[in-house]
Amino acid sequence: MTSPSPRDELPIISADGVSKSFGDNRVLNKVSLDVKTRDVVCVIGPSGSGKTTLLRCLAMLEIPSDGRIVMQGTTISTPAPDATVRKAARAVRPEIGMVFQHFNLWPHRTVLENVIEAPLLVKRTPRADAIATAEALLDKVGLADKRDAYPARLSGGQQQRVAIARALAMSPKVMLFDEPTSALDPELRREVLAVMRQLAAEGMTMLVVTHEMGFARHVGSRVVFMDRGEIVEEGAPAAFFSAPKTERAQRFLQQFED
Amino acid sequence: MFRYTFRWDTVWNNFDFLMSGLQMTLLLSVITLVLAMLLGLVLALLDMAKYAPLRWVGVGFGEVIRNTPILVQLLWVYYVLPIVFGIRIEAFTALVVGLSVYQAAFISEVYRSGIQAVPKGHREAAQVLGLTPVQSFRRIVLPQAIRMTLPPLASNFVQLIKFSSLGAVISVNEITRRGMELSASTFRPLEIFTFIAVVYFFICWPLAMGIRLWERRLLAQ
Ligand SMILES: Nc1ncnc2c1ncn2[C@@H]1O[C@H](COP(=O)(O)OP(=O)(O)O)[C@@H](O)[C@H]1O
Repeated sequence: MTSPSPRDELPIISADGVSKSFGDNRVLNKVSLDVKTRDVVCVIGPSGSGKTTLLRCLAMLEIPSDGRIVMQGTTISTPAPDATVRKAARAVRPEIGMVFQHFNLWPHRTVLENVIEAPLLVKRTPRADAIATAEALLDKVGLADKRDAYPARLSGGQQQRVAIARALAMSPKVMLFDEPTSALDPELRREVLAVMRQLAAEGMTMLVVTHEMGFARHVGSRVVFMDRGEIVEEGAPAAFFSAPKTERAQRFLQQFED
Repeated sequence: MFRYTFRWDTVWNNFDFLMSGLQMTLLLSVITLVLAMLLGLVLALLDMAKYAPLRWVGVGFGEVIRNTPILVQLLWVYYVLPIVFGIRIEAFTALVVGLSVYQAAFISEVYRSGIQAVPKGHREAAQVLGLTPVQSFRRIVLPQAIRMTLPPLASNFVQLIKFSSLGAVISVNEITRRGMELSASTFRPLEIFTFIAVVYFFICWPLAMGIRLWERRLLAQ
């Protein structure tokens, strides 16, 4: 291990006072959040509280109405990005991996083609290398035998694991997960969660919007509770789940108790 | 029942004459389809342009074309354009121009719905992986859109074959016009127009059936 340089100590990605409105609807209200190296931040909260929007701002799929997104000290997204910011955004884009609720695999491409597309086009990896990496990643998510299948032939859980492999193929510094198991039948969730748990164990930096309280509790290094566009409470999972401080978090957690 | 002696030999004796008309019909349809596909793409891009005035041009043009009769448009191109611009337009050119503009207005809608049918998430996945908008359009959106637009484009070709018969009105020598000429000189419209209808049918029907099967297979995937 090399000793950490100052750059390594900076948060991998941060939201800095981010607000977002859609028309008159203020969905995020001055949200600040740091994701540090090896963090597994789980964002939970009632639906409509702005969790997905926050994630999409971090992934630069939404432009914040106010505030900024910072990656290792470099501003990559602002309400009116200038040339410097846009250039920084292009440079770091591949370093932010994202997994969608609905997988978003490209249906006209095989599993392998889905995984090698971005390395070939964006990183200009030689084809043979891209394929070797992709095969290793597919093996890791347990789908080596589906290499030449089209996404439509796979179950939802398998599609989501391919989507994870596709994001990993760009060697991201952080992985953003947007409710990765919400679109899946309960029996298919486990295989996706297992892959995510393994990633966390390997030290991947992750931000996960989820309704899986078990995952947040046992795999998360930090829990962020959002309500009505704000971060209401955050802390270590053990403390948060056993003794939430705010009343809103208490009420939210009650609905998961049987 | 009326008593009538069929004289099908009128058709057989002038078979080559009629077939030269069929050749013209098919040539017209192919040229027009190619032009309409190109012009349709331009219209679709105008319709989806970020710059509003471009969009108005595209949308306005499409609305006018789709909401006036094709025959009137053909007559307009053939008789009015020459007066307005002081140019000579041959009947063939007028027909190609009129039909391709008309068909382009429909084909642009086909393109547009094909492009819009590609879920936004597919583009977002490309975007977060770092593909440029052009790469994403070429590699992710277009291949999917084209697959969806091929059957409707083929249906447009069938339509064009039928619409090309309107060329008869401005005396383009396609098969319908040939039939009118032959009928005028032989007084045998029954045999001639029946034969011509059968020819159209046996070209268009298999195409239409093939397209339907093709569409069903695409949907099943
Ligand atoms: N593109 C959009 N346009 C308009 N409103 C949106 C858009 N995206 C999200 N919203 C609104 O933002 C609010 C928060 O949504 P979201 O971030 O998805 O919450 P959560 O992920 O916590 O369920 C919702 O009320 C939703 O309707």
